Amino acid sequence: MLLRLLGVSKRFGRDWVLKDLDFSLERGEVVALLGPNGSGKTTLLRLMAGLLKPTRGRVERLGRALLLSNPPAFHRHLTAREHLLYDLAFHGREGDFAGALRRFGLPEGLPLQAFSSGMKKRLALARLLLLSPEVWLLDEPETALDAEGRGLLLEVLKEARGRGGVVLATHDRALAERVADRALTLGEA
Amino acid sequence: MRRVLLLALRDLRLEVRDRSGLLSLLAFFAVMLFIMALALGPEEAPLRRAAPGVLWVALAFMSTLLSSRAFALEVEEGTLDDLLLTPGGKEWIYLGKLLFQLLLLFPLSLLALLMAAGLFYLPLERGLPLLLTLFLGVLGYASVATFYAGLLARLRGREALLPLLLFSLVVPVVLASVRATAGLVEGLPVAEVADWWRLLLVFDVVYVTASALLFPVVLEG
Amino acid sequence: MLKAANPDRPDLLTWVFLALGLVLLPVGLYVALSAPPDVNQGYLARIMYLHVPTAWLGYLAFFVTFLYSLLYLFRQDPRYDRVASASAEIGLVFMGLALVTGMLWARPTWGVYWTWEPRLTTTAILFAVYVGYFLLRGAIEDPELRRKAAAAVGVLGFINVPISYMSVKWWRSLHQTQSIDLTTGKIHMAPEMLQALLFNLLVFTLLYLGFVRFRGFLAALEARREEA
Repeated sequence: MLLRLLGVSKRFGRDWVLKDLDFSLERGEVVALLGPNGSGKTTLLRLMAGLLKPTRGRVERLGRALLLSNPPAFHRHLTAREHLLYDLAFHGREGDFAGALRRFGLPEGLPLQAFSSGMKKRLALARLLLLSPEVWLLDEPETALDAEGRGLLLEVLKEARGRGGVVLATHDRALAERVADRALTLGEA
Repeated sequence: MRRVLLLALRDLRLEVRDRSGLLSLLAFFAVMLFIMALALGPEEAPLRRAAPGVLWVALAFMSTLLSSRAFALEVEEGTLDDLLLTPGGKEWIYLGKLLFQLLLLFPLSLLALLMAAGLFYLPLERGLPLLLTLFLGVLGYASVATFYAGLLARLRGREALLPLLLFSLVVPVVLASVRATAGLVEGLPVAEVADWWRLLLVFDVVYVTASALLFPVVLEG
Repeated sequence: MLKAANPDRPDLLTWVFLALGLVLLPVGLYVALSAPPDVNQGYLARIMYLHVPTAWLGYLAFFVTFLYSLLYLFRQDPRYDRVASASAEIGLVFMGLALVTGMLWARPTWGVYWTWEPRLTTTAILFAVYVGYFLLRGAIEDPELRRKAAAAVGVLGFINVPISYMSVKWWRSLHQTQSIDLTTGKIHMAPEMLQALLFNLLVFTLLYLGFVRFRGFLAALEARREEA
């Protein structure tokens, strides 16, 4: 078991965003996280990543978790190559980032402020692939991606399945049905 | 750790590319010195006497601004999360940000010293001891500033608290640095100034260690 | 020391401290006023009976905050944070009193309200640090981050005290010899004055203990209300 949530509740001020949630993620699983805007999907992903602590309950994690935010966060004055270089170093890993950039169709030497949102999404996916965590958390990765980008996303999800477990927050039901083994729905419950 | 150096270099690279930040810092400092010189001058003697104090107050302001910049950039871009998701203890983030500031502050403080020397008739014969004073003082100030800036970065709109929290803790640094600088400039023997250096060293060691250890605790949310 | 589980009202010990303290306060006042005047300063020295205990307890209070901040950092128990915060609050009050009485004492003695005297200056610095402590607490909404940040400041702020003190002392020293000289143990006062001083110290200590426990109790109630 890669990830487990036991009785997790989260409150911001007086609002309970999540209440008494139990969840587990196994290796090789892809779980879709569904629910309308504001239902707490991003909060839940951040809790799973360890960026937030639950107000009540416990989160247990085996291995590293990485989060692909929506929109993905980058330093606009760095180039894609530099960004991946530093990120790999901070994680203590090595990888063929030049190859990754080629595969994802991204320019090496362009500062990120010149990237479109679709390109940034691709870079985020490339980054995730290079850093290869055990728990892959993706927050609406399908947004801004064109057809080719979606193809890449599906490839990434397939590879992720082989390396760990995935939680995929999405509004795209078709995507969820295509890739996910099961779904967790948040919202008025 | 290698990460510390890389983080510092990366931030340096970012700062250099986004030139506006550095330039405004420098401009701020120059203007401040200028105004103080106008306010305290034009006679040589009072200017010279006031110089160490003015220098270090200006450096303090500069360091405060720089430390909040070091983290503001991350928060702006949302990239702090990525740093937090790296494996292992998070002390390296503090040390990396501190190193980044030091790499900027040392040359800047040198420039500041030269400017102060020009505007305030400060003699610069004892270069090496002055450099040592700059080093110890800037390190002490930046060590606390980095900690608080990181802590406050995630609280929106609370940057105003930074000077407030900072100034009460860095009194020993400012005092010691000013006294050491003044002593050197007045021609005191090194042995007498060394007391102040020792105090700065103690402060630096204590606060870099304590801040590095406490930093991961306050980054979690 | 100060750990009640989940109280509905302050416990007996709290009431005992408070009651004893409040009852003995007028006694302390009487003892202070009936003590003989100082050789040099005359009746003016009586402000010492207020100034010294409040200063002592201010520092003690912040030391307690430091201790409980450390405990919280190691154990993560919110009760430690409540004690740290309560002690800092009471400490702030005592520190404020110490500063004010110090200034009132300084004016007739040296002709100025403020001197850059090491102990007074260090007290003022510490006061500022703990004002910052509360400003920070007020600025953080998330309770757990608030506790952690406050604990960090509680630690960083206190380790500053010896360093600050040394720096200011070297920077300037013109204070008169202390009434109880901590370094040499000599006492520059008549025995009756010492008795009066120690008695008032006891009274204020009781009040401190009572107030901190009571404040901690209030904090526990507040925490319970937040949880609901």
